[in-house]
Amino acid sequence: MIKKRIMCPKCKNQQTIEGNSGEKKIINCPKCNSKGVFTFPGEKPIISKDTGSFAIEVNGLTKMYKDLKAVDNLSLNIRRGEIFGLLGPNGAGKTTTIKAILGLIHSNTGSVKINGYDIKKQDIEAKKSVGYLPERVSFYDNLTPLQTLNFFCELRGDDKSIAMPLIKEVGLNDAMTRKVGTFSKGMVQLLGVAQVMIGNPPVYILDEPMAGLDARWVKTIRDKIRKLNEQGATVIFSSHILSEVQNLCNRVAIINKGKLIAEDTVPNLNKLLNIKPRLEITILGLNGKIPEIIKNITGIESIDIQNNTLFITCEPSFRSKIIISIEKSGLIIDNLRTIEPSLEEAFIKLISTDEGGV
Amino acid sequence: MLAINPRSIYIIAKKEFLDNVRNKWILLLTVLFIILIMAFSYVAGGQAGGDSFGNMQITVLSIMVISILIIPLISIILGFGTISGEAESGALYVVLSYPIRRIEVLLGKLIGLGAVISMPIFLGFGLGGIIIATSVGTDYFGGYIAFIFLSIFVGVIFLSLSICISAYCKKRITSIFGGILIFFWNWIYNIVTLVILFATGIGQGFPDWYYYSNVFNPISLYQTAVERAFGVTSIDTGEITTEFPQILSTPLVIISLIIWFILPLILAYFFFKRRDI
Repeated sequence: MIKKRIMCPKCKNQQTIEGNSGEKKIINCPKCNSKGVFTFPGEKPIISKDTGSFAIEVNGLTKMYKDLKAVDNLSLNIRRGEIFGLLGPNGAGKTTTIKAILGLIHSNTGSVKINGYDIKKQDIEAKKSVGYLPERVSFYDNLTPLQTLNFFCELRGDDKSIAMPLIKEVGLNDAMTRKVGTFSKGMVQLLGVAQVMIGNPPVYILDEPMAGLDARWVKTIRDKIRKLNEQGATVIFSSHILSEVQNLCNRVAIINKGKLIAEDTVPNLNKLLNIKPRLEITILGLNGKIPEIIKNITGIESIDIQNNTLFITCEPSFRSKIIISIEKSGLIIDNLRTIEPSLEEAFIKLISTDEGGV
Repeated sequence: MLAINPRSIYIIAKKEFLDNVRNKWILLLTVLFIILIMAFSYVAGGQAGGDSFGNMQITVLSIMVISILIIPLISIILGFGTISGEAESGALYVVLSYPIRRIEVLLGKLIGLGAVISMPIFLGFGLGGIIIATSVGTDYFGGYIAFIFLSIFVGVIFLSLSICISAYCKKRITSIFGGILIFFWNWIYNIVTLVILFATGIGQGFPDWYYYSNVFNPISLYQTAVERAFGVTSIDTGEITTEFPQILSTPLVIISLIIWFILPLILAYFFFKRRDI
């Protein structure tokens, strides 16, 4: 039994609630009477059987569309409890990989295990462990959001009483009586997020969950991913936007042209690629000429100039030495900026190396 | 092995029914069926020299002119996009990521949409029939019940055909063409058999193959089955009597109809199973 002090998001009234870890509880605010759902943190969500050490294991997956290799001998091991980013440009094979993991498309070779269950041989068990939000989610035009979620609750074998709190949790309670056919893209996506949480699966697969949504929805979805992960779930999501992945993920796989080109933690990927921080130094009056005195400073690995701004690459340990040397030489630094290596750089570098360029 | 969970089928069937039955046109169709059967009955009654409804037999024989158009049309509209359209929109991705098998989705769709098509036929022809019976009596009552169920069955056959097309076609738009093809199959069949008939030359009456070839046309099988249910063996227009040949036996008619239902369904299962969603 866990005791938890919670605050009503509407009227800020606080109350203490009790429940088991992983349990979802409908909370009624005694002050303003608004309802909500609270999931107790702690252990992993309740799963029937914990088989295998990975949430998802992909082994030598290949999918051909006629002559085109959409996914090329791809292997991935996604650990339990991590947020895993599937990163790649549009058309890299992210969606195909996800669909093959779920058995929506038939792979030519390779095997997939979700929560230890083979998607081909133990499809029902495997699919019981996973909640999926497709890239272009769509529901049934003539059903209300409640009817839609009720339908998915029944399919999952979950209690229908969870549908209403889920609708409120994603903020669709104002659209309760409307048919889904009249919803905007963002609203349909939110209903998709509500749908994915039915049955508390231990693994979530979200395909481009934030694509094409405005900032408010993006924040909602990002928060939701963090919350699901805090509750112990494994979250896999694909994206072509690097900052999303960088902010959220423990580990990242980079895919291009159906091939896995890197799989590691964000800091390790930077290290692996030897991407160094950059210094941007503005000195008035340079006018595109790099002073000889700066060229000779030790520790500078590369230097470039644009108008009055110098771009210097160096090892982090040399950073302050370089700045001091410049100041000692009598040049006046007008502006200084350090740019940390971003995944974006890793991404571009990896992809261009993969394509045989640069 | 083919493991089927009846509960999953029921859930899909219920969803299909809810999603489609809410359309107002289901209600409109019921009303349309009531009006049509009464109108045809009245006209047929008038032709037979009365000033009231015609009897059940003459009513049904005349309503079939229109029921062979409307019923397949509704079935095709309900069925043609049920897999191809949902695969295109993305609704099917979510459903198939749940613990459910494709066979269960397929059967659920057939049952749910089958219920949608059955409802206006059952209510429309049923209520229409009751109104007519109050005026002309319950002669041919058994035949009329058979007519209602055969109409539902031909609806389900066309549903099975259009789901099969939907499972095969990658896109909604291509399954529309498939739907048009099965809608016009009756005409295509008639033209093709007539061309062959004229090309081979007509002797005394029609050759046997011409009657047997009816097994390739579910519409004429349906018409034949209804005629048999009413015990109609000839049409007497007053001047000439046209005999309905009995070469195609009643069991063969029924078996052929059942094959027209089962075969597309089996094909649909294999198309759907190997399909990439």
